[in-house]
Amino acid sequence: MKIKVELFGSSRDFSDKDHLELEVEDKALMRDLRNEIIKYLDKNFKGNINFIKIVKSSVFCSENNNIVSDNYKITKNEKIAIIPPIGGG
Amino acid sequence: MLHAKVIDIKEKKLTLSEAEKFISSSDFGASIYFTGTVRNQNNNKNVIGITYDSHDKLVLKSFKEIYNEADEKLKIKDKSVFIEHAKGYLNLEEISIIIAVACKHRDQAYVLSRYIIEEIKKKTPIWKKEHYADNQSEWLKGSPLVNEKI
Repeated sequence: MKIKVELFGSSRDFSDKDHLELEVEDKALMRDLRNEIIKYLDKNFKGNINFIKIVKSSVFCSENNNIVSDNYKITKNEKIAIIPPIGGG
Repeated sequence: MLHAKVIDIKEKKLTLSEAEKFISSSDFGASIYFTGTVRNQNNNKNVIGITYDSHDKLVLKSFKEIYNEADEKLKIKDKSVFIEHAKGYLNLEEISIIIAVACKHRDQAYVLSRYIIEEIKKKTPIWKKEHYADNQSEWLKGSPLVNEKI
């Protein structure tokens, strides 16, 4: 299934668009999506270490605006947001 | 009473007058206004501006959670709180955040104001990209948000 990952903060450097579209298997968990993002970075940014660090230190937000763990089951066509380390104010 | 908003700086600037209007009440004897502004130096670099990015829905959710937690943790029931955070590009000295609080007494107002800004730093998904005098720019490192739910 195709998943739209909305980009925020430092992850905006992953694409010229404001999101990524990645393919994951049906019944994929959030950790599978995290791995898919890393694969995307390997392919498109030669495994840029700083980008991969961002993905590893990020959490994810489900379509209904909850921060979810790596065990979260992604539903079909769900829109997910990546939340890199924060620092407002 | 809570007013919480993310303001797109292309549409309007943050102003203290709106905060004052919101928290002003004869129920309260103490008011504190906190503003965060863009400063010209960070990590020995000459900053000329900051772009703020925001996950608006999560930001508003976290502002409401912080407000409600203040009830439980600080036991300050009677209060008026105004929180606005900017998103978009801000020049030096422009206001990025306003936290205005009104309480019955000054002790409560000082504690509540400090509590809110510290919790926002820990919990609210907002990001800063600094722009420098040498035309470079950089997202600030930030702190990882902790997983809350499964």
